[in-house]
Amino acid sequence: MEWFNKWLDTLYNTFIVEQRYMTIVSGFEKTLVITFGALIIGVVIGTIVAIIKVFADGNKKLKIFDIICNIYLTIIRGTPVVVQLLIAFFIIFVSAKDGTMVAIITFGVNSGAYVAETIRSGIMAVDSGQMEAGRALGFSKLRTMQYIILPQAFKNILPAIGNEMIALLKETSVAGYVAVVDITKAANTIKNTTYDHINPIMLVALIYLILVIGLTKLLSVFERRLRKSER
Amino acid sequence: MKDNVIIKTEDLCKHYNGGAIRALDGVSAEIKKGEVVVVIGPSGSGKSTFLRSLNLLEIPTGGKIFFEDVDITNPKLDVNVYRRKMGMVFQHFNLFPHMTILRNMTIAPMKLLKKTKEEAEVKALELLKLVGLEDRADSYPSQLSGGQKQRVAIVRALCMEPEVMLFDEPTSALDPEMVGEVLDVMKNLAESGMTMLVVTHEMGFAKEVASRVIFMDEGQIIEEGTPNDIFDNPQNSRTQLFLSKVL
Repeated sequence: MEWFNKWLDTLYNTFIVEQRYMTIVSGFEKTLVITFGALIIGVVIGTIVAIIKVFADGNKKLKIFDIICNIYLTIIRGTPVVVQLLIAFFIIFVSAKDGTMVAIITFGVNSGAYVAETIRSGIMAVDSGQMEAGRALGFSKLRTMQYIILPQAFKNILPAIGNEMIALLKETSVAGYVAVVDITKAANTIKNTTYDHINPIMLVALIYLILVIGLTKLLSVFERRLRKSER
Repeated sequence: MKDNVIIKTEDLCKHYNGGAIRALDGVSAEIKKGEVVVVIGPSGSGKSTFLRSLNLLEIPTGGKIFFEDVDITNPKLDVNVYRRKMGMVFQHFNLFPHMTILRNMTIAPMKLLKKTKEEAEVKALELLKLVGLEDRADSYPSQLSGGQKQRVAIVRALCMEPEVMLFDEPTSALDPEMVGEVLDVMKNLAESGMTMLVVTHEMGFAKEVASRVIFMDEGQIIEEGTPNDIFDNPQNSRTQLFLSKVL
């Protein structure tokens, strides 16, 4: 049992002394804030881009918006998110003191590009008769989208959005590049102060793992609820 | 409105591939208030395309459509306003699966006619009662049979208080034992004085309910007249051939 007591001592020194665990707690909050903030931005941007791309299909007036969307998608998907983060922090938002907001925006804009394709495929999967029924009742194309197509599309793609959230949660671990003390950076900071190279990192890995398992569970419950109308 | 004509088409065309394929090839027709016009014809004759052009679900490539004397093919016009006056019933029902039956019926009157929830629901329940489905108001479409779905689709369209009802093969996707219940609803609707345009293969319905029958083939109106004219004494050889196959 000696090794166990020794391990407890190490844990005490690493996390409890000088209340270093608080760094982890506030890092945890940062990670969650960035993930959910980015997810919201990502879904909003993704939805807008998806709708534009669906509407632009066969409508010459919207061609220019379609081109803008394609440029956005190409740039975002063609460069690593860390590089995007650096560009945002050091080139675009130079005057930003707090990297958190920059991280939320960057991850959001990045996620939007991936979400857009998911949402577009969700929209395309809704039976075309639904659009016709909406239009025949007198709804405009946009309103039919809003009331009839998108609710069904979102139900189709909820698992994919959930996976995006999980991917995003893990991706935010690079936020430390722009002076954001998220949970990974917190662990790294503690590691550097205490020379404990094992426990802070393992703890953070465990926290990510528990979060992901929790989110996956939550998602399947939510999905089952939504399936109700399809009995 | 001249002579009570609700819908009038002039030389309506729908061409693909620069005229190589002609789904509609110069269709001129009139539908008067209170008429029940049944369109029959072989598959691919353009009858569905004709019906779907009337509320511009298909955009015609030529010709004009007048709704109550207004040319709705005019691109400057807000077609949504006119679609509200034309109820449409589809072959595959197209109920909204994520909404209850009641919501299916009230969403358009609430959002488009600015009715209150109460007004819209009173009207919807009244109509549901008429088709014997008032106890299914809180069900979802997937819980209904095909015949029930189509009856809901009909009353959903009626909730918008349309001037005319368009039926696009309303019984073609139904199991045979459910056809009757839908035709009964349509018959009642016709008797109540609703103007109706029906594309169908139900010749019995056409004979019994139609005030006029139009026979279409290859994108054109070949012959039209009263059910007696068409079914008992068809003039055109193509009409004769078609009827000899289906009757």
